[in-house]
This record gives sequence, C-alpha cells and structure tokens, in this order.
Amino acid sequence: MRISMRMSRGSTPAAGRAATSGAKRGAERTRTAVETASQRTPGSAAPPRVRLVRTVACGGAALLLGTSLTACDSGSDASGAKEFHVLVYGDAGNTVEKQIVAEFNKTSKVKAVLDTIPGADYQTKLQTIINTPQAPDVFYNWGGGSIKPFVKAGLLMPLDDVFTNDPTIGDHFLPSVYNTAKIDGKAYGIPMRGTQPVLLFSNKKVLANAGVTQPKTWDELLASVKKLKAKGVTPIALGGGDKWPTMMWYEYLYDRIAGPGLFEKAVAGDKSAWSSPDSKKALSMVRQLVDAGAFGSNFDSVKWTGGGSAQLLASGKAGFELMGSWEYSTQKQASPGFAAKDLGYTTFPSVQGGKGDPNDLVGNTNNFYSVMKKTKQPAAVAKFLKLMYSEEFIKAQLSIGNLPTTTNTSTFLGTSSDPAYAKYQLDLVSKAPSFQISWDQTYPPSQMTPIYQAIQEFTDGKSDADGFIKAMQALDAS
Amino acid sequence: MTSAASPAGTTPAGPPPTAAPPAPPAGAVRARARRGARGAARPGILWALPAVVFFGLFALVPLVLVAVLSFTSWTGLGSPSFAGLANWTKLFHDPVMIQSLWLSVLLTGLGVLVQTPLSILIGVWAAGRQRGRAVLSAIFFIPLLLSVTAVSVLWRALLDPNFGVPAQAHWLFGDGNLLGSRTGAIGVLVFVSAWQYTPLHSLIYQGATRAIPAVLYQAAAIDGAGRIRQFLHVTLPQLRNAVVTSVILMIVGGLTTFDSVLILTEGGPGTDTTITAYYMYDKAFKSFDYGTGAAVALLLVVVATAISLVVVRLSGYDRMAGTQEGLS
Repeated sequence: MRISMRMSRGSTPAAGRAATSGAKRGAERTRTAVETASQRTPGSAAPPRVRLVRTVACGGAALLLGTSLTACDSGSDASGAKEFHVLVYGDAGNTVEKQIVAEFNKTSKVKAVLDTIPGADYQTKLQTIINTPQAPDVFYNWGGGSIKPFVKAGLLMPLDDVFTNDPTIGDHFLPSVYNTAKIDGKAYGIPMRGTQPVLLFSNKKVLANAGVTQPKTWDELLASVKKLKAKGVTPIALGGGDKWPTMMWYEYLYDRIAGPGLFEKAVAGDKSAWSSPDSKKALSMVRQLVDAGAFGSNFDSVKWTGGGSAQLLASGKAGFELMGSWEYSTQKQASPGFAAKDLGYTTFPSVQGGKGDPNDLVGNTNNFYSVMKKTKQPAAVAKFLKLMYSEEFIKAQLSIGNLPTTTNTSTFLGTSSDPAYAKYQLDLVSKAPSFQISWDQTYPPSQMTPIYQAIQEFTDGKSDADGFIKAMQALDAS
Repeated sequence: MTSAASPAGTTPAGPPPTAAPPAPPAGAVRARARRGARGAARPGILWALPAVVFFGLFALVPLVLVAVLSFTSWTGLGSPSFAGLANWTKLFHDPVMIQSLWLSVLLTGLGVLVQTPLSILIGVWAAGRQRGRAVLSAIFFIPLLLSVTAVSVLWRALLDPNFGVPAQAHWLFGDGNLLGSRTGAIGVLVFVSAWQYTPLHSLIYQGATRAIPAVLYQAAAIDGAGRIRQFLHVTLPQLRNAVVTSVILMIVGGLTTFDSVLILTEGGPGTDTTITAYYMYDKAFKSFDYGTGAAVALLLVVVATAISLVVVRLSGYDRMAGTQEGLS
C-alpha cells in the first residue's frame, strides 16, 4: 500500500514534466514525430489509472498478507467476453491505433480493446502491472533492453509461438529493424508506428554564412566547428540537460571507429570492450570535440525537450544538431519557415581509419508490439498483429508523419506528409548494414541513470576516460 | 486527580500538585456532576479511533512494509526475494548515497538561511498598516498558490541560457550554465524554493507580529527606542516561537523536497543535486531496484526524524514556553 501511494505521488509530477528517462524519452520522441498531425486524442485517462491503482494496491496487499494476487482479479476474462487488451503509450499516435483496432473488430469475433497509459511514465507503469492479472495481452515497447527483463522473467511469448502457421512473418519487415526486438536469437516484437534514425541536422543559412558545407568526414566536421566559432555562433546545438542527446554523439563515434561489434560485445557482458583501444579512441574524439568548443559551454543547461536546442538551430544561433528524425517534424511545427527553407539533414560523418560503415545508423529502430505468454487469445492476437504490415496501416502511419518499416513501405511513400524526407529516411534505413538501438534502450531500464551519469560527467570533464570506462564496466547488462 | 483537566502550574489559583485528593463524594449528585465534568474534558478513546486507524493504515503499515521491503531484492517483476542486509551494506558503501544526505542537509540549511531573514522582514512589513499593503501582500502571495511542478517548469524555461533571463544579463550570469554546473544548480534549487515558499513563512511571521501586544512598543518608544531598536529588541524576541515553527516546516519540507529536483535538475549534472528523496525515486522507480529504494526511504525517515527532534529540543519548542513573560 505504501507502494501505491508512492506510485501516485511519483507519477503525478512526472506526467507534467518533459520526458527524460529512456522509456519516456522514446515516447516523447514518438509524440513529437507525429505532432504535425497533432489531433491530440482525448486519451482514456481514467480506466488505466484506476486499474493501475487497484493493481498496485492489490500487489501491496498481497505482499502484506502473502496471499495470491488472483483475489484481486477484476474478472475481465471471467466475464466470458472474448477479447484481448492492447496497451499503448497514450499520445497523438493513438489515432492510427484506434483506427486499426476498429478495423480489426469489424471482422473479428474476438475483440481487441485498446488501452492507453497517458503521461510520460509508460515504462514505469508498465512494469508495475505486467506481472499482475491486469497486464495487457499485447503491449507497446521499444524492443531491445526495454523488454529484456520481461523476457527473462518468462512473461513474453516468442513470435515463433504466436505465428505458428506463418513462420515467415519477419519477412514483412526490414531486417535491421526486426532484429532489434530479438533476444537470445528469438523474436519478441512486431514493428509498429515508425522508425527514428538519428541524423545530423543543420541550418543551411548559418553554414553558408560561415562558408561551411555539409561535413562528410570527422575532419571536415572539426574544420566547420572552427569556422562557425569564428562567426560567433555555437557550432553544434546540444540539449545536454536531457542527457540522451549527448549520448547520441557517443553512439555514433563508437560505431564509426569500432563498428557495431564493440557495443554488441559490451552489451553481451564482455566488459573488456569498454577498455579497448577503439573505445579509448572514441572517448578522445569526444574530448576533442568538446574542447574545441563545438557545443559551447552551457550545453548542460539546454534541453531538447521544451525546444531549447532546436530553437538554437532554428534561430541561427547554432550550425548543427545531431537529433532523431523527429527533429524534422518538430521544426516544421515550431518554425515552419525555417523547416521549409533552411533545414538541412545528412548522415553522421565518417571517421578516417574507422572500422564502422558510414551507412550504419543509430537511433530508435522502431516501436514494437510484444505478446504476453498468458494471453488466452493467441490466434486473434496473431491476426491483429498481421495488420501491422497492411496497406491501411502503412498509409495511416505515413499520413501522420511516421515512417513504418515494412518491406513494402516504399510503394506508399506518396501518401506521406513529406514524401522526399520519408524516402530519404527509408533509403537510409533499408541500406544500413547496422541500425544500433540507443544505448539506454539496449541496456535494461535499470541501467539508464548510470549510463547518463557516465556520459554527462565525461563530457563535462568531471571524469576522465578511465572514469568513464569504469562506470560503463560497472553496468549490469543482464 | 480531578485537577488533571486544568493545566497544572498555569493557574495560580488551582490546587498545588501535591495537595491531598479531595474528599470522596458524599452524594450521588456530586458524583454525577464530577463524571459529567470529566466526560466533557476527556472524550473517550473512541474519538481518537478514526485518526489512529488512519495513521496506522497510511503511515505505520506502509512504514513497516517499506522496512520489510528494504531487506528484499525486488525489480517489480515476480515476488520480492529475501536479500538480508545486502541493500543496506550496498548503501553504506555508496558514495552517492552519502553525498545525497549531505546535499539534502545542505539544501535545507541554505533554504533556512535564505528564507528566514527574508520572510521575517516581509512578514513584519506586511503586519503594518501602510497604504497598499494588503494589495502588495496578495500579489506577493501568488507563488505559493502555484504547484511546485508549474513553478519548476516556469523557472526551467526562464533560466534557459540562450533564450531566457541569463541571455539578457551576461554581466550577472556569464554563459548562463546554471543548471549544468554544481554551484549553479544548487543555487537555482535554493532560489526557486525560496521564491515559492517565502510567502508562506512571511504569513506565519505576519500573524505572529500582529499578536505582539502594542503596549510593548509603546513602552519601548517611551524608553526612546527607534524603529530599528524596536524591531531588534521587541519584535524579534517576540517572534521566537514563530521562528521555530517556520524553521521546522522548512526542515521537514527541505528534507523531503523532490518535485523541484525532478523537474529542474533530475539530480544532475552528474549526481551533483541527487538529494536523498530523489535518489530514492531513482532507485525504486527508475532503476527498478525497490529493495534499495525502500532502504533509502527508511534512512530518510530516520535522518529527518532525528533532525526534527534535535531542532525541537534545542529550540525549547517541546516546553511550549510562551513569549508573554514580560507582560505578567
């Protein structure tokens, strides 16, 4: 019961604040990515909240009395109604989800019920209900580390078991994306919503004023930093206050220097990866960039959430910003004139002598639907999930600015809110030899704070390379 | 003793504590009268039941549950498993934990130091009869009406180094890296909480100042004391109990500060503003380590209780001494 009080106390302020933790962040990204078509749906706020409180209260009571949780079952299954629950993050993306659920229910005897968790604390709230009778049958997540604890706890159903009569389900999605929801070689997620690679955005006007062209290599980037600085602008806008924008620089540098293998090794538990020469080289290049004044000196007081760093770029006070593909729709909404005329985008520069392919991407590969082992309607769920590569789904997502990652997306690009940008992204994602899901989403959620701290302290110069390596080696990958 | 209902010692006319008990009642009428009197003064234990049940259910039971939880390892999935003293030993070797306690005390202390003089001055001023005082007081009171969340979001935006106040006042803020540096972040937290809570404490001092008998000021004036001397020698000593009340409120509030840290700094930069309450939230609800979170919570309860007791003891608040000694 203490827990239930904490929950309601803890969640209220958090709901109102800008998203920060990885789970929240991913959701925030998705939200902003679809904001162009932002008819904010009146999310069904009460039912999940009430359910949550009941669940947690029952959990606390069970903890106290040592009784089984079943006594608290609300009996949704016992009522005899044939239905399954789909839990998603409650934001503007729900318009498409509502549409798909309605479409599914037209022809299905087993009805899908869409539940939304409003606010930014999706992951936290999910964790409190997932092991109770109130858990959904299907739920929204970020693949990778975000579902790893659930897989370890034996709560999720591998997709091989869901799609027993359609083992080729994975062929409908881009492999680089589909693979990020694989854990121990088994697939646990069907991509839904859209992909979000991280790109190097720029203010074309500022670059032209300083005589800078889009940098293709690291040395060109360093040279442009110098030129931009000489012009009195912050070379690169960085929302260090959110911490994850800083992390993106590390992710790309590690990839370009060592290739995706190094981080994969580290996440698999091989701690020597962090102390390898490649790791040290990446750190020295971060240092080089910071020391060159690339981010200015007050980046940790700037946030991307709330528009701080994006405004720097749009107002011409900065030349570049490394950000997820949602930057485009964000700028389009906040500064339409700038987005139409002066917003440039390109991939992260290559590093000379680096082992990583310059076509490699990092970011959020996608959002996913995962299926609970306890679902009583696996057949209906499988039927529902097949809609995630249907023509209707792809068109609906494109129309709100999302880029689905099905193999046939390219044939529908014309229906996108910005076909050229959608095509650019899709080309990148389909060609990428590797698409590294963000570090904070690859490690389990419990490791997010230590990752952020290690990155922030090294970037600020509060710790040195050894300090960073030690902090990353202390992470618990399991 | 029949005299139990009247506070012993304060009524000189009452029977001394050592006085012999009154003679046993002679008749039924007297007995009934006594029972009636006793009933009025001391309501039955039943009256306390709702409060006791409420307190037990929402304070004691959770506290015990948290204590139990602190000896377990639990990620929120499955059921908690007994972990012995693991969480506790981990905490006592955790530099962030120890630092968080110091930070909590530091922020609380700075809050008291900044807010107390300010609120005394404002409170005493607001207790006067100047023109426009009521209007100004009402305006000044507004920050208190806003939620901490709103206030924090507001200041977060106002303090943006490139588009907020610091961008307009380089001479004062430099590069504006307030929330990205240790001193800056601590300064912002102290400032924002002072901005929000000084009105509340001013209100306490305003009330207390109005309760000071005018006769004291008249006497001081006759003795030739000016405004400043009146303030120092009449007002301030008379505000002693108000100071204690206000400081205890600040300490309790300061040690449990959470929302403003969550929104303004998220414990950062690094761990520079990770105060204990935020650390508890981080452990339990962001790192899904409920066992350690519970241990931090319990530690906070112990530390906060200890500090409150010390303050109550040192200030003489427990003796409930009045400030009227000069009058009788």
